[in-house]
Amino acid sequence: MQLKTAHSSSFRDPSGYIFIENNSIKRVINPVYFNQYDALKTSGFFDNLIKNKLLISHKEISRTANEIIIEPEQIPFITYPYEWSFNMYKEAALLTLKLQKYSLEHGFSLKDASAFNVTFHKGKAVFIDTLSFDFYKENTPWRAYKQFITHFLGPLLLASYHGAHQLKLLRNFIDGVPVKMVSTMLPSKTKLSPLLYTNIHLLAKLEDKHSEDYEGKTKTASLSKKGQLNIVKSLYEFIKKLELKEASEWGNYYNKTNYTDVAFKTKDIVINDWISKIKPSSLIDIGGNDGTFVRQINYDYKEALVCDIDNNAVDFNYKTTKLNKDQKMLPFVLDVLNPSAAIGLNSTERASFLQRIAAYAPDVTLALAVIHHMSLSGNVPFKESAKFFASFSKYLIIEFPKRNDSWVQRLLKSKADFEDYFGFYTIENFEMAYSELFNIKEKIHIKDAERTMYLLEIKNLNFENRA
Amino acid sequence: MHFLYFDPGLGAMIIQAIIAAVAGVVLFSKNVMYKIKLFLGLQKEDKDDVFDDIEIKDSDVENKN
Repeated sequence: MQLKTAHSSSFRDPSGYIFIENNSIKRVINPVYFNQYDALKTSGFFDNLIKNKLLISHKEISRTANEIIIEPEQIPFITYPYEWSFNMYKEAALLTLKLQKYSLEHGFSLKDASAFNVTFHKGKAVFIDTLSFDFYKENTPWRAYKQFITHFLGPLLLASYHGAHQLKLLRNFIDGVPVKMVSTMLPSKTKLSPLLYTNIHLLAKLEDKHSEDYEGKTKTASLSKKGQLNIVKSLYEFIKKLELKEASEWGNYYNKTNYTDVAFKTKDIVINDWISKIKPSSLIDIGGNDGTFVRQINYDYKEALVCDIDNNAVDFNYKTTKLNKDQKMLPFVLDVLNPSAAIGLNSTERASFLQRIAAYAPDVTLALAVIHHMSLSGNVPFKESAKFFASFSKYLIIEFPKRNDSWVQRLLKSKADFEDYFGFYTIENFEMAYSELFNIKEKIHIKDAERTMYLLEIKNLNFENRA
Repeated sequence: MHFLYFDPGLGAMIIQAIIAAVAGVVLFSKNVMYKIKLFLGLQKEDKDDVFDDIEIKDSDVENKN
């Protein structure tokens, strides 16, 4: 019996579903899960996980014989696994294992281990599916084990051996990367590792063998609790030490730019001045690299999303955020030329980046040193990039590197014979195209650099241009 | 009561006994090696800056039950 309209992402688990009421996410618990819920509540299990900030907090708002409704702490912007950097992904995996170990020790077990059960909030990974805990039945194996391998271990291993781009695989495999695929993609030396041989290669083989068993005749094996704890602990130790094989070339990005100290400082002052006038509670930095510029902002905003196409830069930002115990910064990976699409059932299960960011509506967008990459590397006309930036924020702070800028020159040179085609890349054309959708509030040339900073405000007329 | 609303994979259920046995050996040997290295001074105590270990602290609320 479902009286409320369940959220389009919430249909898999019969224990309950989430719905939206007055712009707030709420969760219905069905009678079939009442026993578990009560046990988790009265034993202090929920309380302790919430205190340790591992599970999103919630409060019970109503209870009848037919349903319990809880309201979780709201998370303004949800990031998905395919938008995480390597170490973010690792943290989500470790969190899941941590919860499974804790559950086992307290008579429960995670009934699923989907990577979508985790997101990032206030500077760390947090588990958001409150109904994922079930009673542990003695001597039963972990039902979510395979899901853990296909959602976490598989993608992390592939990333470790073949680069961070592999983490985007969950975009195509919303139910996890098939074990057989992981097995064939890993180098054969991984068969010599007892842990990888059993958890990946042997698993792939056995899954293959038993997929033919339509009658369900094969007996399910039993597994002691200690045995299961060994699996969980060994995976934890392994994943904790997992690193990317590709050397991080990132590091001193800002030393490689053509900015003199003076110009860098001017840019900093200009941005801080505008931000203090706008007084944003939320902002997004598109192409924000490792978050350097957002960290220069003195204004006390509530939350800053910082995205970049470079997984390494995002990872570096994430580590810095963690070490600083910064709760306001949310780094994630985003390719502006191919932002995350809506995927899953009816293409509505996981919202696209543009849907999520339009709903979040950050007060101001920063686009520093990104327009020349969009225009010259991505061949995006000004009209189209303006449309993109006009779809979610009221204010846009954008930096325009002029034709003489050394980066622009480099990008143009790489076009060889095609260079003439990019004659459109001039500050006049830029202003003309952006003026269609924005009012130019302020404009400042940066001394010592071939760059101009703009503060733009969206024209109300065109707000319906939202993607 | 169990809700099998997704396929846990039959092979994955059976294999866990084997994986657990291997994991037990791996954990045991790693622990022994770690202690030997620590004793010989080849390794310093683990200090991890970003990720903590698997333990979750029990709060007082928990212990009373």
